[in-house]
Amino acid sequence: MPRWLAHCVVALLVAALIALACSRVDTTWNWQGVWDYRAKFLQGFAVTVALSLAALVASTLIGGLAALLLGSKNVLLEAVGRVYVELIRGTPLLVQLLIGFYVVASAVGLENRYVVGVLVLALFSGAYMAEIFRGGLAAIPQTQRDAARAIGLTPWQALRLVILPQAVRLVLPAVAGQFVSLVKDSSLLSVIAVSELTLAAQEVNSFTYSTLESYLPLAAGYLSITLPLSALSRLLERRFKYET
Amino acid sequence: MRSHLQVLLVAIVAALACVAAAPAAPPLRVGMELSYPPFEMTDTQGRPTGVSVRLAEALGRSLEREVVIENIAFDGLIPALKTRKIDCVISSMTATPERRRSIAFSEPYLKTGLALLVAAKSPVQSAADLDARGRTIAVKKGTTGHQYAATMLEQARLLVLDKESAAVLEVVQGKADAFIYDSLSVYQNHKRHPDTTRPLLHPFREEAWAVGLRQDDVALRQQINAFLESFRAEGGFDRLAEEFLSEEKAFFTQQGIPFYF
Repeated sequence: MPRWLAHCVVALLVAALIALACSRVDTTWNWQGVWDYRAKFLQGFAVTVALSLAALVASTLIGGLAALLLGSKNVLLEAVGRVYVELIRGTPLLVQLLIGFYVVASAVGLENRYVVGVLVLALFSGAYMAEIFRGGLAAIPQTQRDAARAIGLTPWQALRLVILPQAVRLVLPAVAGQFVSLVKDSSLLSVIAVSELTLAAQEVNSFTYSTLESYLPLAAGYLSITLPLSALSRLLERRFKYET
Repeated sequence: MRSHLQVLLVAIVAALACVAAAPAAPPLRVGMELSYPPFEMTDTQGRPTGVSVRLAEALGRSLEREVVIENIAFDGLIPALKTRKIDCVISSMTATPERRRSIAFSEPYLKTGLALLVAAKSPVQSAADLDARGRTIAVKKGTTGHQYAATMLEQARLLVLDKESAAVLEVVQGKADAFIYDSLSVYQNHKRHPDTTRPLLHPFREEAWAVGLRQDDVALRQQINAFLESFRAEGGFDRLAEEFLSEEKAFFTQQGIPFYF
């Protein structure tokens, strides 16, 4: 059996189990009420996709920069990177969002909650990215660097031609996992009234009192973003496989 | 040793007898969100207290059933009721036609209305002023203020927040023109932020709170209606108002704003 077919069969089985569980819940279904709000869902979905993409790019840049700080031989720069990573990873995203929006952003006069949301999300995810990148770079044996220098490559060439192609392959699965987390973490932006997909589902739930009918489409919405991300990551993994 | 065994046996028999003799009525599970002082709140030890908790306890005494308070987020109360996780809702819930499509309500026990907490710098003078491009309204998710803003004030930008405190903060910081909530909460929040907010307390829409019930639970609805009537007749509501809301009641009466049980 080809692999994709096996995936489909297992997914269908899981879907059937969920459908069976839903059919046993003691409640009356109200799909019509939720269907009336489909425009709200679509709008929330578009906002979630846009926010996630922006935060994804920004968190990769921030993570790369922070990884450089963490690997720096300058004690002060290394300390900046370490404090950033530990502070962000050690506190809840909820607190970062509330303080970031109502305290920090207000203090510097940044009023757009969407921009603040993307920034906080990127800073949050960037801390995890930094450690993933640092781990990937550290996993390349010293002999590779020595060999690169022995054949006369400059440090920059060594990084670009020898270290990075190997490191990228090593960090890809972890980065893909972090991207998936980031997409789902964007649901927390609802606490600062960013009207993304989760808030849309919560609002529809509070208007129609149809919890399951509101949240099942929510799950499907997130899957339709995260599954392509995972597929892309596996594709890239295969692409980089022959580089070593 | 032997006497110990006898004591144990007697204790077991006594316990069994108690269980057999106890009334078979299951505890009454009352759902509310404990974040709406002075109606639903917790004391410093974390125990539920407030007007609604006292009301639920009095209801339990009148029905001779034990009362269990379930703390559930406001927009989760009706789903919890429908899926039989709780038996009734006493959570300052307004009886609205929209909600009546999902659940039933007892007779109303308190009259209030929607009011506005306006940012000090905002030019807004009435609810109608909010229905314009460039105006921003903060609401708490799932409240009647949320429903009103979503259907009646479509021109404005709507900020939907989880917590009352966050909605107030939006107004205090001038990010929103106004927060739509009941007049009592607007009054209390204005007292906490007198310099950055101004209250428009006269309700632009009157509302009545009632106990939420499942539509098929007719027997409990009749029991609760009978209880509310006798509780009011014996002055129970007046005592609760005196204990929790004396200052507010005096102020509202003086201003001629409806707020009474």
